[in-house]
Amino acid sequence: MHAFNRAVARLLILCTIGLGIPLPASAGIVTTDQIHASAERDRVKDFMAREDVRAQMQSFGADADAVRERVDALTDQEISELAGRIDQMPAGGGIVGVLFAVFIILLVTDILGLTKVFPFTRSVR
Amino acid sequence: MAGVLFLMVLLGGCATPQVSALRANAPGSLPQQVELAAVPFFPQEEYQCGPAALATVLVHGGVATTPAALVPQVYLPGREGSLQAEMLAAARRHGRLAYRLAPRLEDVLLEAAAGNPVVVLQNLAFAFAPVWHYAVVIGYDRGREEIILRSGTTRSLVMTFSTFERTWARGAHWAMVALPPRQLPATATETDHVAAAAALERVSADGARQAYAAALEKWPGNLAALIGAGNAAYALKDLPAAEIAYRQATIDHPRSGDAWNNLAQTRFELGRRNEALIAAQRAVALGGPRLAQYQATLKTIAATP
Repeated sequence: MHAFNRAVARLLILCTIGLGIPLPASAGIVTTDQIHASAERDRVKDFMAREDVRAQMQSFGADADAVRERVDALTDQEISELAGRIDQMPAGGGIVGVLFAVFIILLVTDILGLTKVFPFTRSVR
Repeated sequence: MAGVLFLMVLLGGCATPQVSALRANAPGSLPQQVELAAVPFFPQEEYQCGPAALATVLVHGGVATTPAALVPQVYLPGREGSLQAEMLAAARRHGRLAYRLAPRLEDVLLEAAAGNPVVVLQNLAFAFAPVWHYAVVIGYDRGREEIILRSGTTRSLVMTFSTFERTWARGAHWAMVALPPRQLPATATETDHVAAAAALERVSADGARQAYAAALEKWPGNLAALIGAGNAAYALKDLPAAEIAYRQATIDHPRSGDAWNNLAQTRFELGRRNEALIAAQRAVALGGPRLAQYQATLKTIAATP
């Protein structure tokens, strides 16, 4: 019985995912997305990548209501670059929170012109 | 230790590759000195240099927004920062053409000289312990070899070209402008600009339509821009304009099945069934990876008396 329940659950998950996948237009306009895709893409893969980015952004604290719109505004290429890598991509945050030990080193390297962490340093040329 | 220090002083004194290139052969059109003093300044709060930098360029371009309003669009709390892709996407959501510059210092300066402030990603520290930071280039002085930025809590941060290049190189030379879509970036290339317009089309058909128009003025006959212009007009339910764009695409690119297919569909919806049928037959005869779609279009049209 347990195995049966699990099988049914799996089937339902697949069906639910299937509902959200945009099917290729049977007739009508060739869309800009289609033209810019390098070849006929795997739509299921695209869809999964988009879902992956959405879930990851939510796990990084993005607001659940806003995240759908955020992901929709990304192109397929941007999605494929982000999928599975959000934890490694650069995220510009700025200069707050640099530890004191690092502070001294960075002060020196700033003055040497190798880095530029602090706005008040002036590098030697 | 002294040796290491000496080496570091040496390194610090060396010109970076792009600065040397700029010294050797800067384009004649590049002014000596630029400062876009009218660009607003939003001092960043906490880790939010992303929203601050984005607000700086958007407000300068006439969008009514604030860093606080942009936080829910670009800030990722778990990363204490903003992703590059989202900086581009959020600019598009405000109807702006988000264009990523080629990784050249010269291009950053050319955009500033054209009046376009440039968002740049810097790694202010080291590759092994990065401090990622967004700032906005608002000017430079070639004689003094200095760049001027709106950065963090500093209104006008002056940095030598060399130091800027090092910190910017560690951010993989990432730079973007966000412009009203009718305006072409000073350093725009044909392929990248049309791709940027297509990205805008995802969120703003109206903005994309303007961006395609700008592209076609500069590069008439670009197939992706012609079909894009048609698709944007089609999305805005302006079928006559869509028909004109697709027809032009079939004239300039008679072997584009996509152009014929979209022309067929639009003519069909305009009630010009016979002309639609001819166009759909052309698309099917040309074939290609989307043949099944062309065939479906033809079938729909043929089935209608």
